[in-house]
Amino acid sequence: MIDDILVVNKLTKQFGGLKAVGGQGGLSFNVKRGALVGLIGPNGAGKSTTFNLISGVLEPSSGSVALNGKDLSNIKSSEIASHGLGRTFQTPRAFTSLSVLENVMVGAGSTGERLTSVFSGSWRTDEADIKSKAIEVLQQVGLDDRIGDIVANLSGGELRMLEVARQLIRDPEILLLDEPTAGVDPSLQGKLSSILVDLHNEGRTLIVVEHNLHFLLSIADVVIVLQNGELLAEGTPNEIKNDQRVISAYLGDEYAA
Amino acid sequence: MNIEQLLLAVLTYGCLYSVMTVNLNLQYARGGMINFGTVAYFAAGAYAYAIFTQEPPSGLDQYAFGFNSPWWVGFIAAGVAAFLFAIVTGWPTLRLRGEYLALTTFAFAEVLHSIFLNERRIGNGSVGLSNVNRPDFSWIGMSDNYGFAGAAILLLMFTAFLCHRILASPYGRAIDAVRDDETAAEAVGKDIKRLRFEIFVISAVPVGFAGALYAMITTLVSPGLFTAEVTFFVWIALILGGEHTIKGAIFGTLALILFEEVVRSFNFETVRSAEIAASVEHIMTGIIFIMILRWQPFDRFTKKEAVQ
Repeated sequence: MIDDILVVNKLTKQFGGLKAVGGQGGLSFNVKRGALVGLIGPNGAGKSTTFNLISGVLEPSSGSVALNGKDLSNIKSSEIASHGLGRTFQTPRAFTSLSVLENVMVGAGSTGERLTSVFSGSWRTDEADIKSKAIEVLQQVGLDDRIGDIVANLSGGELRMLEVARQLIRDPEILLLDEPTAGVDPSLQGKLSSILVDLHNEGRTLIVVEHNLHFLLSIADVVIVLQNGELLAEGTPNEIKNDQRVISAYLGDEYAA
Repeated sequence: MNIEQLLLAVLTYGCLYSVMTVNLNLQYARGGMINFGTVAYFAAGAYAYAIFTQEPPSGLDQYAFGFNSPWWVGFIAAGVAAFLFAIVTGWPTLRLRGEYLALTTFAFAEVLHSIFLNERRIGNGSVGLSNVNRPDFSWIGMSDNYGFAGAAILLLMFTAFLCHRILASPYGRAIDAVRDDETAAEAVGKDIKRLRFEIFVISAVPVGFAGALYAMITTLVSPGLFTAEVTFFVWIALILGGEHTIKGAIFGTLALILFEEVVRSFNFETVRSAEIAASVEHIMTGIIFIMILRWQPFDRFTKKEAVQ
């Protein structure tokens, strides 16, 4: 088993000549299996772009990403998802014509998504399993009382949890969460952090982009700081809090220990 | 025209066009693909049927092929022709979305229309192929009118069953997800190109069959029968019926056909009154269209199914 589940090597991305990620030598970092990594940095630092490059939504201009030692270049984002990488989006993306339960069930790759299985009807045997698994993950993220609801009735915070549930049913090894606390009221943030800690304790690798540093620094093992698409610092939360460059670029004086 | 004939015509053409509406419902309302070239798959089916069943060319015929096959061979050929044309048109347009796909499919249909019109070796050009062979229903003791009405109903039932089977499965759930948000669907492992392509191609097949049935009923295929008007008729029927349900698509089509056939069944004494009636028909169509869009009667009727 490879120790580093994710290896980002000299990654760059240009949008119309403007470098969004990578800077001089490209962005490189490794993520250890089972780690809870915080990815922070000022607005426009390239955090979401980095997520999009890792998950295959965007194609890198140069450099590579390897998941479990497998190079992800030229692999479609839908296939990357099938290799055990799950992600959520900065703006929650729900399937609005489906119910809450269906939103989660669609996350599970059913055999019924093949036409042969549709016409033979063989998908029906798996359907009950998928449904009970979906209810299970909805309980895990605290949405079990909204199962039959339509998506339009969910709050912003609930939509974020729905996205997490939709990924959890796929049982991803590594989960990329883009600002999970944005729009979530403070009373729910405690619940959210315990959900993330639970996922971490299950042995999943998590990378979390977050501006809420009280939240993030209390749960992360490792923090990676980006600035202008480049790696500014990498270390434990304590090291980061005391890093003078990070304080001046992003944290501000209130975090200085 | 008596009531019996009227009802038979409504049933026959209503079911025939409903096959197209139901497939458009699958492509557009569920798959999110705007296909403005529906008539092309219909025409491909009709021409394939005519070419396969007609006698080899002789005398003044300009067409090059005639295989003199039995009707059922022609019928299968119609489905295959629509299937192949869907592959040819679906593959290059996979990346197109919304109005771009609409324009491209419209253009493909116009190209096919133009080929039928100008390449006389296919189907005699603008004259078309007449006296198309039709199956004989006398062996089951049915007149042709009843036979074709029954065939149209059967074809519609087959199409509705096929669509329902797809939409009620995880496959339907997946295409709903792809239509709602492609990026999020990819993030849960959905191969959106495969799903969209399969829907595009599979929904063309029953339309091809409908084309064959149409050729049998009219015994004529010519470019003039397969214009964009057919496509727009099907679109209007789909919108009238309210999107998203198979029932709505069928009700919308039947209502529109009923209206047309009722208007057509009036007898006129003079040419002048027929002209006035023709203009009034357009006005009435517009008014009814607005009324239906305002109150959405069929939509309300089928809503229960949609919410489930």
